[in-house]
Amino acid sequence: MLRYVLVMLLLFGHSASAHEMVPTYPKLEPAFVDGLYKTTMTMFNKRPEVEYYEIGIFTKDWKPIKFVSNYKVYKIPYLSTVSFDVYVRSEDRYSVTYICSVSKLRKSPGPQTAVSSKICSKVKRLGE
Amino acid sequence: MLNFKSGIGIALLVAGATAAHAQQNTPINGTVQSRCIIQTDQPGIYGNPNAYTLSTTNTDGGSPPVIRVDVTLAAAYYLDITAPSAFSSAPSLPDVVTWAGDTTVKSMSDSTNMGGYETGKLETGYTDRYDLTATGSTWFETTSTATLGGSRAFPGGNYTALVTAACIAK
Repeated sequence: MLRYVLVMLLLFGHSASAHEMVPTYPKLEPAFVDGLYKTTMTMFNKRPEVEYYEIGIFTKDWKPIKFVSNYKVYKIPYLSTVSFDVYVRSEDRYSVTYICSVSKLRKSPGPQTAVSSKICSKVKRLGE
Repeated sequence: MLNFKSGIGIALLVAGATAAHAQQNTPINGTVQSRCIIQTDQPGIYGNPNAYTLSTTNTDGGSPPVIRVDVTLAAAYYLDITAPSAFSSAPSLPDVVTWAGDTTVKSMSDSTNMGGYETGKLETGYTDRYDLTATGSTWFETTSTATLGGSRAFPGGNYTALVTAACIAK
């Protein structure tokens, strides 16, 4: 019984909450519409205090690149996974370097620090 | 000539063998993708050791945030952790706030390969950059202190400051 309790404490003792996004190295492929390239990303939300994640696409110098997706801010309920397509113009496809997701935090009471998490995948070029 | 009971027995044996055969041929597919996972192990809390200071250090009555980062692909990510340099929400303040903050490695799952993370980090302003060269889990702790200018008291209200943890693919 004690062993069982210890295992349960090890499993659930930490109230860790996580944010993850895959793939690490996405590839842009021609979309079904001429002049557009797309890739598919998947996010998983294990942060109970976070419900919304904003996505952004950047150059290697962190300049924002215009893109189209269903939403810029995705609602991802706790313990759910969302897959989404992002589309960029074909002339931008060689500039796209980072695809990032950032947690959007709600105002909360009390003097505290809140942790904003950000994960960036990288579109690699030949030779990188 | 087989009797009725023997017939049932043989039928059950054949059915069992078929079921066992079916179980052996039921695949469970899965793909493990390399990834970086940012976990908030502990959100920080500011203590108020005197009227004009907010601090996350334990001796000041606060609690520093602890961030755990899991990496499943070695040498694929940088981790940038930025200590707060402003409040994301606060009451109207009567003076300028001076900020101090630092991030350190608290613990690690592989001390052989992660032992150099702290000494090898790059500090730029409030941001510490770690090169995540090994797979496994690392725990980071960020301290933050906010001091109101002129030793004036922080007005009553809710204060929140953001620690940003960014996992960036190399």
